[in-house]
Amino acid sequence: MIELQNVTKLYGNVIGVNDFTLKLDAGAYGLLGPNGSGKSTLLNLITGQLKPTLGTVHVMGRSPRNNARLFRQLGYCPGGEGMYSDVTGYDWVRYLQRLQGMTAKEADLAAQSSLELVAMKSAMNRPISSYSRGMRQRTKLAQAIAHDPEFLILDEPFNGLDPIGRHDLTTVLLDWIGLGKSLLFASHLLHEVESITQSFLLICSGRLLASGTAEEVHSMMVGLPNEIALRCSSPHLLASRLVQEHAVDSLSIQGDTLTLATQQPGLLYEKLPGWVSDLGVTVLEMKSADESLQALFNSLMKMHRGEL
Amino acid sequence: MIGNVGAVFEFEWKRALSLTRKIWWLVLAAFPVFIIALVRFTVPQIVVLPQGSQIDRNFEAHAIGGPMDIDTRHEVWRQLCAWLIFALVPLLVSMLGTLLWTTPAISAELERRSWVYLAVRPDGATAVLLGKYLAAMTWVIPPAIVGLTIAVPLAATGDTWRIWWAMVRLVLLACPAYAAIYLALGVFFPRRAMVLAVAYTLLFEMVMSFIPAVINKVTIQYRLRALAAKWCDLQIPGGRESGAQSLIGNESVWLHITILICTILGLLLASIIKLRASEFSTSSESET
Repeated sequence: MIELQNVTKLYGNVIGVNDFTLKLDAGAYGLLGPNGSGKSTLLNLITGQLKPTLGTVHVMGRSPRNNARLFRQLGYCPGGEGMYSDVTGYDWVRYLQRLQGMTAKEADLAAQSSLELVAMKSAMNRPISSYSRGMRQRTKLAQAIAHDPEFLILDEPFNGLDPIGRHDLTTVLLDWIGLGKSLLFASHLLHEVESITQSFLLICSGRLLASGTAEEVHSMMVGLPNEIALRCSSPHLLASRLVQEHAVDSLSIQGDTLTLATQQPGLLYEKLPGWVSDLGVTVLEMKSADESLQALFNSLMKMHRGEL
Repeated sequence: MIGNVGAVFEFEWKRALSLTRKIWWLVLAAFPVFIIALVRFTVPQIVVLPQGSQIDRNFEAHAIGGPMDIDTRHEVWRQLCAWLIFALVPLLVSMLGTLLWTTPAISAELERRSWVYLAVRPDGATAVLLGKYLAAMTWVIPPAIVGLTIAVPLAATGDTWRIWWAMVRLVLLACPAYAAIYLALGVFFPRRAMVLAVAYTLLFEMVMSFIPAVINKVTIQYRLRALAAKWCDLQIPGGRESGAQSLIGNESVWLHITILICTILGLLLASIIKLRASEFSTSSESET
C-alpha cells in the first residue's frame, strides 16, 4: 500500500525525513514519535503535499504528487485545524465532498451521514467558529471519511478530544479497521496508538527506528536492559545494595522512586524480595514498563541516541 | 475537473453573500456613478448638452488652443467623459475588485491552513485556482456594468450607447486580464501577494503604461486604452505631434484582443503549473 524507498526530505539545511525506507501492506498502522520527529513531514510526503528531495514515494502503486486517482481513494485528516470559521460544519464537509467529485445531492448525503457518524449532526448547521476544539476535531474526521476512502490518514486525531470523544473516535476507527480498510494514524502518545492498533512505526529525528507489531519489536530487544521503576521507603539504601550485588547496569533516584535497568531481570526478580526484606525497605509500588509500548519506545530512543 | 471548479465557484459565491462583501459590491457600483455625478454637476458651464439642454453660448474654452464652436464643445465633453469613465470602470473598478478577490486566492488558504484540505482532493489545487478566478470575475463584472449603466447616461455625452457598449466590452476584457495577473502574483509570491499586487498596479499599470515608449505595450492598460480609443473614437490630447499617439498605438483591435486573451490564458496556465509544482507543508503551511 505504501512504499518509500530511501526517502530524504530536506528543508534547506534541516532534515525532515532521513533516508526512510518502508513498505507497508494494507492494514492499520500507528505512526509514533515525539513532537518534531518527522511524522507530519512523512504524512505530507505520503499525501503528495511534499516531494522527496531524494528517493521515491508510492502509495497504492502510484506517486501521490498531484494524483487525482489516488486522492479519490484517500481520506486525510490533517493535524492543524484550518477550517473556514465562517461556514457551517455541514457546508464545509459538503464543499470538500463536492471537490471529491460528488454531485450536489451525493455530497449532501455524504456530509450528513459522516457528520452523524462522528456525533456532529445536531451542531452541523452552526458556524465552525462556534465549535469547541473537540467538535472541530470531529468535523475534520467527518470530511476525511465522508467519501468512503480506502485509505485513511489521520494526523493527531485525538487532539482536543475529551475522554468521551476519545472513546467515540476510537470506536469509529476500530469499526473502520473492521471493514477491512487501511489506516495510518500519527500520534505522539502511545496509549492512543495502542487503543487502535498493535502495528506501528516508530520514528525519531526523521528516521524509522522500528516497525512491526509490538511483539516483533520486542524480539529486537533481546539482550537489552529491562527498565524497572520501584517506589519505596528508602531508595538510596536499596540502590546501594543493588550496586553491591552487581544486579543493575544503571540506576537513578528521583524522590522516592528508584529507576533501574538490568540485563538480568530474572535474577533480579528472584533476589529482590530477599534484599528488600533484609534492608527493611517498604516497597510501595513496582513497575516494569517493559511489557508496554512505552518501554519499547524508551529503549529504542536510547538506542537511537547511543545510550544503549 | 469542471465539476470541481463548479464546486469551488458555488462555495465562493455562497461565502460572497456576506454583508461585508455586499457592501463592497455596492461601493464598487456606486463609485463611478458618484465621481461622474460630481463632475457632471460641478462643471456645468463647459458642458454642451444635446437635445435642447441649456447651453452657455458665451463660454469660450481654450482647452485645445482656442475658441470652440458648439460641436467642438460637444466633442471635448464627450472625450473627457469617455476617458474618465474608462479610468473609473474598466481600470479602477476592475483593478480594485479583482485585486481584492484574486490576489489572496491561494495565500489566504495557506494562512488559514485550509490549503491541505483542498489540495488532497482530485485536481483540488487547479479547481480552487480556477473556481476562485471565475468567482472573482463574476463578482466584479456585475457592479462594473451596473456602475456603467448609471454613469454613462448621467454623463450626458450624446454618445451614450456607443460609450456604454465599448466600456462593457472593456470591462469584459479588463476583469479577466487583471484577475489573471493578480492571481498569478498570488501564486508565485504567496507570502507578499498583496504588497506585490499593489506595487505592480502602481508601477506598471499607473506609471509604465503612460511612458510613451515601447515598454508601455507590456501593460494591460495600454491594450485597454487603445481599444477604448478605437471603440469610442477618442484622441489623446496633443495627438501625433506630441508623441502621445504611442499611448494608444496603431495596432488593430483584433491584435489587442488577441494579446489580451493570450496573456490571460498564459497567466492562468503558468499559475496552474506553478501551483501544482509548489510544496506547502501542513505543519507550517509555508512554502518550502
